Formats: sequence, C-alpha cells, structure tokens
Amino acid sequence: MSSCLRNTIRELRAARSMTQQELADLIYVTRQTVIAIERDKYSPSLEVAFRIAHVFAVPLEHVFQYEAPSSGKK
Amino acid sequence: MARLSFQEKMLWAQLAGIVVVVVFYGYFLVHAGPGHHYFHALLLVLLFLFACVRTFFRRRSGSVVEDERDRSIAAIGSRWSNIILWLGLILILVLYWDHGSVHSAHFLIGVLFHLLVLAGSVRIIRELVAYRMAA
Repeated sequence: MSSCLRNTIRELRAARSMTQQELADLIYVTRQTVIAIERDKYSPSLEVAFRIAHVFAVPLEHVFQYEAPSSGKK
Repeated sequence: MARLSFQEKMLWAQLAGIVVVVVFYGYFLVHAGPGHHYFHALLLVLLFLFACVRTFFRRRSGSVVEDERDRSIAAIGSRWSNIILWLGLILILVLYWDHGSVHSAHFLIGVLFHLLVLAGSVRIIRELVAYRMAA
C-alpha cells in the first residue's frame, strides 16, 4: 500500500546543503529513517514531522502534503 | 540500497547465530552419544557474549541507534513471534496432551525449546523484511 503523504524533505535539504546524516542527528532518528521518509516508504510520527519542519524553519504543510486517494468511482 | 542500520546489522548477526546453533544442534548433537552435552549452557554463554558485543558497539556508535521506526518494526516482529508461540503452544497441547499429562518433562522442554527458536527466527526474518520494505 502506497503512502498518501508526499514530502519535500529532499529539496529542502538540498537547498541547505544538508546531508541525510545531519538531518537525522537534528531530529533524533537514524539516517535510514530519513531515507525511508524521503522515499515515502515510512510516515513519521507527528512529533518527528514537527521536528523536521522546525529544522527547516517552514510550516508543516510545506514539508508534508496529503494526497487523498482517489475513490475509483465515477 | 541504503546502508544497513545498527539494528539491521544486529538482526543479521542474530540470524547468523541462530543458523550456527541450529546447524550445530542438528549435526553434532544428534550424532553424539547419550549423556550431558552442556548444549543449553553453551547457548546461554553465546547469548551473553552477543549481548556484550551489542552493548559495546551501541556505546561506541555516537549517533542515534534506535528510533520510532525501529520500535514500530520491533513491534511487528514481536507480534509475529507471539502468534507463532501461541499457535505452537496450542498445537503442543492438542497433539501431546495424553489424558491429562504430557509424555515427559524432557520431551516437553525439548519441544518448547524448538518452539522458542522458531518464534525467534520468525521475529528476526519478519523484522528484516520490514526494514527492507520501508528502506
């Protein structure tokens, strides 16, 4: 099942020349978790999501976007 | 492919340990004659050594070694392990309960030991799969 959450962490990180390990250390998770979040393979907890937004100094909705799944009915 | 995390490395080490123990148990012990083999004592020593090595590497690693994703994956592994244990216990009771008494204590301990090894292996494999699926 694919996640409905999309994120812009990779772009935000690239804009600040920040490595995955640096971000991981700032938000108290492992580098593998940052990789999983960036690839939309893992949805972080609300606390970690807020920490990420805080690190980049942007609103939460700028980092994470929710895409509602299409119902498939016409 | 992302580099293996500390938890994943430890899981692979545990899996390798279980394979070594099972091969040792299956090959040497079955072919050995009757008597004391101190197999369970050896297993406890191995578990103790593994815990020491794990603690050493964990302290040496400066960065975060466990986070919420590790904990959620560990919970998935525990759930699978618990299912195996419960199913196994029910199976033992159904198959070996002989008019109110199981055959013998040694036999029962042997079966329970195998069940624990199976549940542990399932937990490790399930966690490794979960790490790869969410990597």
